[in-house]
Amino acid sequence: MKYLIFIFMAFLFCSAFAQNKQVLYGLEEVPQSLLLNPGVNVPQKSHFGIPLFSQFHINAGMTGVSVFDIFGESSVDINTRIRNKIFELEASDFFSATQQLEIINFGWRARNEIYFSGGVYEELDFIVYFPKDLAVLAYEGNQDYIGVPFDLGQISTTGDLMTVFHFGANKQLSEKLTMGVRAKLYSSLFSFKSTNNEGTFITREGNEDSENVYEHTVENLDASVQTSGIASLGDTGGASQILGSAFFGGNVGVGLDVGATYKVTEKITTSASILDLGVIFHTKDVESYRASGTYTLDGIELLFPPITQGEPTFPYYEDLEDEFEREIPIDTLNSGYTQLRPVKLNASVSYTFGRRIGSSGVCDCLNMGDDVKRNQAVGLQFYGISRPKGLQMAGTFYYYRRLWDVLSAKVTYTVDPYSNDNVGLGLVADLGKLNFYIAADNLLRYGNLAKANNVSLQLGINIKIENE
Amino acid sequence: MKNNLLVPFLGILSFIFIASSCVKDTDFDQAQDIVLTPVVELNLIHFDLEAQDFYDGATMTERLTVSDTTEIKFLDGSGFQESLVRAEFLFRFKNSIPRNFNVDFQFLDSLRQPTYFTGTLVNQGSVANEVTTEFTQNVEGEDLLLLTTSDRVVVSVTIPDSGPNLEGNLKLQSKATYFFEIKEQEE
Repeated sequence: MKYLIFIFMAFLFCSAFAQNKQVLYGLEEVPQSLLLNPGVNVPQKSHFGIPLFSQFHINAGMTGVSVFDIFGESSVDINTRIRNKIFELEASDFFSATQQLEIINFGWRARNEIYFSGGVYEELDFIVYFPKDLAVLAYEGNQDYIGVPFDLGQISTTGDLMTVFHFGANKQLSEKLTMGVRAKLYSSLFSFKSTNNEGTFITREGNEDSENVYEHTVENLDASVQTSGIASLGDTGGASQILGSAFFGGNVGVGLDVGATYKVTEKITTSASILDLGVIFHTKDVESYRASGTYTLDGIELLFPPITQGEPTFPYYEDLEDEFEREIPIDTLNSGYTQLRPVKLNASVSYTFGRRIGSSGVCDCLNMGDDVKRNQAVGLQFYGISRPKGLQMAGTFYYYRRLWDVLSAKVTYTVDPYSNDNVGLGLVADLGKLNFYIAADNLLRYGNLAKANNVSLQLGINIKIENE
Repeated sequence: MKNNLLVPFLGILSFIFIASSCVKDTDFDQAQDIVLTPVVELNLIHFDLEAQDFYDGATMTERLTVSDTTEIKFLDGSGFQESLVRAEFLFRFKNSIPRNFNVDFQFLDSLRQPTYFTGTLVNQGSVANEVTTEFTQNVEGEDLLLLTTSDRVVVSVTIPDSGPNLEGNLKLQSKATYFFEIKEQEE
């Protein structure tokens, strides 16, 4: 238990809405904003991320419950608090965690004015929905729930660890429009998925015709788990095998990011991107399990066979186990499967104002409007991600300000499934060629992370060479 | 100059940012107090004996006691042993045989040694009028320790006398209610 709490806390300590990098989105000073919108305006001439330090991102969150809700100092018994939470949470509540580590990131502007960028990053992505009915069953037992069905289909979880190799191109096509695309190659280290499950478990009071006091029934069960890269882990290698599959030893996939930024007027800009429009083909080291059927447990029926002393009777218990396995068989499949990546959508509209920047303060009259920059902006952002139980969305209002030539800040206010008071802050410093950024959200909870439903953090260092 | 100041400024800011976050007013030792107390209702055994099961037509002799054995492997599983605090058995007999019965439940461990015993008297009924006898047995404390070392039960049904013309059925339905207390195990 302690270890579980530790791991849980470790997740929470270090780290919004899984993968929503609302602070970094559109923050053109940070080269990594290209990964959130390949069609963002790119001011620099080239950039090179410090290997392994160019972006670290961690993000973990839980809807409906915080660490404080359970472990806070309180006069109410912890068991009462857990019980209340179990009944308060819904099957649509979830825990999710994402972690990314950039290994390499680089980019440069070619002579044809196309900004090419590429790199490698590692990504861990996990989500599990709260299987409310099963939690109630485990916590309370079935005594108070005779005749009440428990939904086994609430089990829904996915997990992935992969290396992503990417390369993209970005070009300002006109004074108003910048577009970009990025091709991705996924190398999956491991993956598991159990979604679209069905079935109920119910204990009914027996009637006149029933064989026993109750009828315990698993009805119309259809549950499956797909795994890849996991089945062989126990056999050999372990860590070295995982590392091996990080570089194309495992299952591969392809994906695409597209994005654009459009300048509506001098002050109003809109942008949008679609990320990870892709699939992973799981063909190697695949193992899937599927359990389906309907079965009613009546108990053990004794038949009292006329046998003499010492003779064995029927193996009732084994027969029962066999019967269960026959009625609800668990099939193991090794056939490959195709996995869709969770598609992410970003969109924004921004309004810039304040004093002009990007000029030396002297006459800027030759700049005919295509590159007028101002030191402040406000805007709205939308984020969505496809998840097993539907699209999860978040809305962000932000204020951006360039404080000095070397320092920019962005403050965000985000409403998402976790909370409606998520304030985030990002700081970017350009110190000579060194580009340093840090972004975190849920700052109102920063004083006591235990009360946060989710926290996210991104930081990194790049070398950036500005346009002459 | 501005740049020179900014580096330490940012460094300190980041440090404060990360270090000032903390987890307050929490007490993780409470994890030790977490107790799950599910109450589980589960069918046990059932049978349907005919009156003629107590008479051997071939040898024209009475079979005053019939018995049968089944494994109940889950009982001595470690999860059960550690977490079970009480078990309540319900045995429901429906008798349309005009005889009283003695029904014994002898639990045995894996070495076939007797562990826990219980039994009851079943009232006689008639073919026209089935009589229900219910018997509940509460098991806790030392008896529970004995019970949870068992992995099989021998059920013996004894009739005082029988004959070739005896009619009716003796049916048993049974269930157990298991009261658990699941908590962190002492290391």
